Amino acid sequence: MTRPARDFINRFLGRGEAAIAVPTFDGALKPNQKLAEAETVLECAAPEDLATDGRSLYLADGPRLHRLDGAAATEIRSFDRPISALAVLPERRLAVALAGREVRIYSQPSAPKPYAVFATGLRAVNTLAPGLEGTLIATDGSAVYGVEDWARDLLERQRGGRLLALDLASGAVTTLAAGLGFAFGARTAGDEILVSESWMHRLIAVRRDGTMRIALPHLPVYPSRLSHASGGGYWLTAFVARSLLVEFVLREPAYRKRMMAEIDPEYWIVPRLRSGLSFKEPLQGAHIKTMGVIKPWAPPRSYGLVIRLDGAGAPLYSLHSRVDGTNHGVVAAVECDGDLVMIAKGPGRVLRLPIDGLDKEFGA
Amino acid sequence: MSESVVLSLTKATKLYAGVPAIDGVDFDLRRGEIHALVGENGAGKSTLTKVMAGVVALTSGTMTVDGVEASPQSPLEARHLGVAMVFQENSLVPTMTVAQNLFLGQERFYNRLRGVYIAAQQFLQSLNFDVAPTATVGALGAAKKQMVEIARAVLHNAKVIIFDEPTASLTPEEKKYFFDLVRDLKRRGVSIVFISHALEEALALADRITVLRDGKRVVTDDAAKFDRARIVQAMVGRDLSHTLYGVRKATARKAGDRVLTVQNLKMAPMVKNNSLSVFAGQITGVFGLVGAGRTETFKIVSGALKRDFFYGGEIFLRNKPVRFRVPAPAVRAGVAYVTEDRKVEGFFETASIARNIYLGLMSRFPGGRAVLSRREANTIGSDWVKALNVRAIGDEARVVELSGGNQQKVVIAKSLVQEPDLIIFDEPTRGVDVGAIVEIHELINRLADEGKAVVVISSYLPEIMALSDRILVSRQGKVVEEFSALEATEEKIMYAAIH
Repeated sequence: MTRPARDFINRFLGRGEAAIAVPTFDGALKPNQKLAEAETVLECAAPEDLATDGRSLYLADGPRLHRLDGAAATEIRSFDRPISALAVLPERRLAVALAGREVRIYSQPSAPKPYAVFATGLRAVNTLAPGLEGTLIATDGSAVYGVEDWARDLLERQRGGRLLALDLASGAVTTLAAGLGFAFGARTAGDEILVSESWMHRLIAVRRDGTMRIALPHLPVYPSRLSHASGGGYWLTAFVARSLLVEFVLREPAYRKRMMAEIDPEYWIVPRLRSGLSFKEPLQGAHIKTMGVIKPWAPPRSYGLVIRLDGAGAPLYSLHSRVDGTNHGVVAAVECDGDLVMIAKGPGRVLRLPIDGLDKEFGA
Repeated sequence: MSESVVLSLTKATKLYAGVPAIDGVDFDLRRGEIHALVGENGAGKSTLTKVMAGVVALTSGTMTVDGVEASPQSPLEARHLGVAMVFQENSLVPTMTVAQNLFLGQERFYNRLRGVYIAAQQFLQSLNFDVAPTATVGALGAAKKQMVEIARAVLHNAKVIIFDEPTASLTPEEKKYFFDLVRDLKRRGVSIVFISHALEEALALADRITVLRDGKRVVTDDAAKFDRARIVQAMVGRDLSHTLYGVRKATARKAGDRVLTVQNLKMAPMVKNNSLSVFAGQITGVFGLVGAGRTETFKIVSGALKRDFFYGGEIFLRNKPVRFRVPAPAVRAGVAYVTEDRKVEGFFETASIARNIYLGLMSRFPGGRAVLSRREANTIGSDWVKALNVRAIGDEARVVELSGGNQQKVVIAKSLVQEPDLIIFDEPTRGVDVGAIVEIHELINRLADEGKAVVVISSYLPEIMALSDRILVSRQGKVVEEFSALEATEEKIMYAAIH
C-alpha cells in the first residue's frame, strides 16, 4: 500500500498517525504536586534558561544575564536581544544564543567582547550545551520560524529542527541531525547526544555518524531542555502536557489555517505556557472547573513538569504542577548545591526544590 | 437441641469409582442458622451439598429432613422436601428471560406473560435486586445471574437453601446486599448452608462453621470460636495464614521497560477512552467493580475482543503499534491472557492435562503443525505438571476430573508454555482453594521477579493488595486512579472504584 493511500485510510478510520490518542500519566509519570510546592526563589519578567559551572548559577532573563546567589539576582550584563539559550563551558567560558539567530562565545561571563560568533543559517537556537570533543552543541528548533513563534511551527507541523555541532576553534558548523520536530534540548550521553523532539513527543539519541535511535518514545508531554543529574542520568523538562483537543486540532488542517488567520494567537488552541483563565480561551466551564474550583485533572491548557531520567533515558519519577497549579511552562532545570533550580516560564518564576530525599520518596 | 435440627447427615459416604469423595461425614443444620462449609478444592464440600440437594445419592449413611429419613433422588424431590441449591455454575436457561427462569417448572396451562413479569418484578424488588425481569439471562453479567439464581431459590419457599460460592462473582456492594438477604432469610427461619473460599465471609456471616478435609469432617464449631488462622490450619493441615493476603507488601518492585501502552482505547459500551501502561518486572494490579471494563480492555490487548473500528485508540507493545484481531498473533507477539472463566474459555475439559498444555504451545505456530507428537505433548505436560505442582491421578487425567485449583494451574501452564513477555491473569484465584491460591501467588511473583510484565485483574481487594507493585483502579470503562503498593489502602482503592 502506498503511503498516501495508507494515510488516507488512517485518516478515515482514525488509526496510526491520525489516531487522536494521548499516553496517560502513569508509572514514573504519575502526577503529584511537588513542583507546585517548590519554593519560588525569584520572580522575573522573561526567564528563559539556566546554566551553572558548578559554583555559580546563571539565569537568562530576557536580554539580561544574571548571577543567582540564593534569592538575590545580580545583573552581569545585558544584550541587545533576548537570550534564547545559555551554557557555561569549561574554563568558565560563556555561550549565549541571542533571539535564536546568533551564538556568541565569551571567555568570561563579564568579558566585553565575544571571541567567537556563529550567525549564519541559525533561526531558532534554543539550547546550548558542551558537546563531544570540545565542540558546542546547539538545537535549532525550526528552519522557518523564530524561537518566539514556536506555536506557529507546531500548527504548521513543521519538521525543520536541527542538531548542530559548533566547532569553537575553526568556526565550522556541522549538522548532526536534521528534519526534527522542534529540537529543544540536548545533552551528551556517552558517545551519543540525547535530543528532545518536542513535536514528536520523544527523546532521540544521535550517534557521531548522524544515525539516530529513539531513546524514549510516546511521552504524554512536549519535552524541552535536558541537564545532567548528579547521581547519573538526566533532568528533562516538559513545557506542557499533551491534550486530546490539541491532538485533534493538529489533524484538522483547514481549521488550523483559519484559526491562524482569524484568531488572536493568545487564544489559539495550542499548548500554552500559562493560562490566563480568560473567557476567550478555548477550554472553559466544566472542562476546567467543578463547583467553581479548578480541577487538577482537567484537560491541560498549561502544565508544569520535570522528569528524572536514568542513564539509559528511562523515567524514574516526575515532579508536577497540575492544571490547578501555577508553576507551568517549565523550560529549564539544573542542579546546583543540592537543589534543583527550575524555570517556570508561564508565571515567570525561578523555583527551587531540595533534591535530597526525592529519590527515596519516589523509590528510585 | 435435636428438635431444632432441620437437616442432618450421619456417616455420609459417597464413592466415585470406589474413591470416596466424602467419607463418614456427620453434619447437622439447625433451623434458622447460617452454616458455612469450608475446605480446599476436593475436600468434599460440593459433594456433601449435592447429596443434600438430591443431585447425587449417598453410597452409605443416612440423611434426615425434619427428623424424617429422606433420600432425594433428584433436585425436584429435594425441593419438595424444602431443600434448594444455588449452584456455582449457574443453572439458568440463557435464552429465556429472568421472569421465565424464576417461574420455570411452575408454569400453568395458560401463562399470561405480563402477569409473570409483574410478579417477577415485585418479587425481585422485595429482595432489593436490581435486575430487569424482561432481560434475557444470557445477556446478564455473572453477578446478575447469581442474583436470579438466589431469587429462584427464595421464590420456592425453601426451608434449607444451599449456596455454592455465592459471592465469587459479586462486587463488594452486591455482597453487602447478599449478606443482608441471607440474614433476612435467617430471620424468616430459613436455614442456610454456604460454601465459600473467602474465609472472612464465613467468619462474618456464619453462626457455625464446618471444616472438611480430604472428604472427612475435621471440625464443626461456633463461628465465634474460629479465627482465620484456625480455619486455614484445619483446612490444609498446616499454617498458611502468613502467606495468604495476611502480609501487606513492604517493598515494591521497580518498573522496567514499558511493555504495553494503551492509549484512548474504545469498545462501546464497555471501554471508554482507556489509557494505561504496563512495565516489565512488575505486577500491575487492576481493580474495579464488575462492569468497569477491565476484562474487556485486556481481552482487546490479547486479541480476544476487537476495539471500535473507527477511532478505537492505539495499543503499543514494546513501543510498536499493534492491533490483534484474533488471539494467535498476540500469542506469537508474547502476550498471554489467562481467562477468568476457565470452564468456558480456559481448557478442553475432556482432553488430558498434557493435551491442553500442548495446545497452548501449538498456538505459537502460525499455520499449525503438520505432525503432532504425542511424546512431545506428554513430555511438556509432565514437565509443567511437576513445575506447577498439579495434583492429578495419573498423567492422562482429564482436566474435568481436577479440582478448581488444579484446573487453574493447567490454564496457567497452557499460557506459560507460550513463553510470553506479558502475562495477563484475569481473576487468577476465583474458585480456587487456599492451598492453590498460595502456589498461584508464588508463581505470579516469580514471573515478575524473572522480569516479565504481569497484570493481575482481580475483584478481591486483599489479593490486589498482596500481589501488586502498582495498582490501577478502573471505573466505568477506564482507569481512573493509580496507586503504588506502598501508598494504597483498601479504603482509597474502593473510593476510587466507586466515586
